[in-house]
Amino acid sequence: MKAFLARRTATLGVAVLLASFVVFLIPYVTPGDPVRKIIRSRVAGDVIDDATVQRLAVELGLQDPFWVQYVRWLARFCSGDMGLSHVSRTPVIDQVLPALSVTLSLVVLTLGTAAVAALVLGITAALQEGHVADRLITTTTQAFIAMPEYWLAPVLVLVFALKLSVLPSAGWTGPASAVLPVAALALRPTSYFTSAVREGVIDALRAEHIAAARSRGLTYAQAVWRHAVPNGMLPLTTMVSVWFAGLLGGSVIVEVIFAIPGMGRLLYDAVLNSDIPVAQGGVAVVVGLAVVLTTLADLAHRLLNPRLREHHA
Amino acid sequence: MRDRSISTWLAVAVLALIVLSVAASPWVAPYPPAEQNLALRLAPPSGAHWVGTDHLGRDILSRLLDGGRFSLSIAALATVLAGLVGTAIGVLSARRRGWVDEFFTRTNDVLLALPEMVIALFIVAVLGTGFPSLLLALIVTGWTPFARLARALAYDVSAQGFVQAARVLGCPPSFIVFRHVLPHLAAPMLGLATLRFGHLLINVGALSYLGLGVQPPQSDWGSMLAAAQPYAMRAPLTILAPGLAIFAVALCVTLLGQRLAHMTGSQLLLSRTPSRTPADA
Repeated sequence: MKAFLARRTATLGVAVLLASFVVFLIPYVTPGDPVRKIIRSRVAGDVIDDATVQRLAVELGLQDPFWVQYVRWLARFCSGDMGLSHVSRTPVIDQVLPALSVTLSLVVLTLGTAAVAALVLGITAALQEGHVADRLITTTTQAFIAMPEYWLAPVLVLVFALKLSVLPSAGWTGPASAVLPVAALALRPTSYFTSAVREGVIDALRAEHIAAARSRGLTYAQAVWRHAVPNGMLPLTTMVSVWFAGLLGGSVIVEVIFAIPGMGRLLYDAVLNSDIPVAQGGVAVVVGLAVVLTTLADLAHRLLNPRLREHHA
Repeated sequence: MRDRSISTWLAVAVLALIVLSVAASPWVAPYPPAEQNLALRLAPPSGAHWVGTDHLGRDILSRLLDGGRFSLSIAALATVLAGLVGTAIGVLSARRRGWVDEFFTRTNDVLLALPEMVIALFIVAVLGTGFPSLLLALIVTGWTPFARLARALAYDVSAQGFVQAARVLGCPPSFIVFRHVLPHLAAPMLGLATLRFGHLLINVGALSYLGLGVQPPQSDWGSMLAAAQPYAMRAPLTILAPGLAIFAVALCVTLLGQRLAHMTGSQLLLSRTPSRTPADA
């Protein structure tokens, strides 16, 4: 466990450093003069004449060796100073943090909904294995995996917002405005989670310890709740954590369609407007968070599942 | 078992119908895809326009057939390239082991943790919109499952007696890879490619929907959907039809892929794919 922990932390550190270097490079590899782009993200006023650009380049240390600039940039970035947006001319951090909180609540709502739905559907399907309910659930969830959000979301808007006028079609203003985006976003995770839960429960039901429990006098219901259901929840915990990282920026389509001011939308707008500082801040935050979350999830999975521990010493 | 083979044949039939008519679109499309008829904007389905017309009075069926060429060919190309890159990296990792293996496995882990859409947005931000960056974005996000599977299978094959024997007999590594390792990988990799094609098709549509994929005047199913959005209320078919096309193809291909995986008995493939393909939005 200790060796595993050490290796994981090392990988994590290297991954975050590499990713941060790639983010640092963005102004240099995108079209245009990197020095002017960096000055624009650091100085509030508009700088046009070459003399001032020269002077600022020296002042901001843009002529120092590359790695010195990188270390300096990383230090500033980690202290929360991500520069000024090229478009709105306000600090990037003031745009990233609110967007992150919106996306986090969207993702938590989505995965919560998906996990609850998957537990209900998966356990139902497993207990009815081979019967009508199971086939219905299995077939539907399989079909939903192939359904793109960018189609489902407009259809949901069309039906519930435009035709029936029961829910708002856009915005992020309250519980009602969250229903459609969460539904559109939760469909695919629900499908994947359901089949995982179903398989986990079915595996457990076939295992010998269920028979042993039954022979000890547990009722079928007790055996299911104590032994089969926890086994179905184990794969769920891993999948939820993998999806959590993925949805942090992966919700971009749903955020664009429903005009939700989250991370995905922030990154999308930054790319469309070539707003390099915002793109840097957004990518860095999403990547950093995703890598840390995935590592923590891996660790949690290892703690929850004793079977994995011995293999990795 | 019987109803499974019926659904397989149904999937094959639907897929064949769509692919053939898309491939033959210059000859079978009832109208030129760009032909406008402003007198007949957002028309409902009729004998002349089976699926109706869009906001410029263009025939939706003709546009679906034409747009499908881009959606399907880009997704297919991306699947093949991602498959080749992934297989090469996977086999290399398994044969070389050591730091090569460690490096690619870690890269794989990190990429898996990142949202595909963020990587794609990043690549488009750096390279600008267009066909090369679209393809690159799809390959960078798409090679990882292939590499994982190829590595695991190549490890297994390399431990087999006939590979050991070949090595003892003095066969060069390239001979072992091409004669022994790759043939063993072919069937499962094909199964995985089929499973991944639907996923990549959805991603192509997503990028085009966001305006980062196929650029105007050319259009594909994703960009058709995006263009039709403001008119969804007046003519629902303008958004329903392209989405249904993507959905139908992705579903049929996935069904086929699962069947293929069952046939080749690749439990590895089945157990790996669903749980290890996270958010793709």
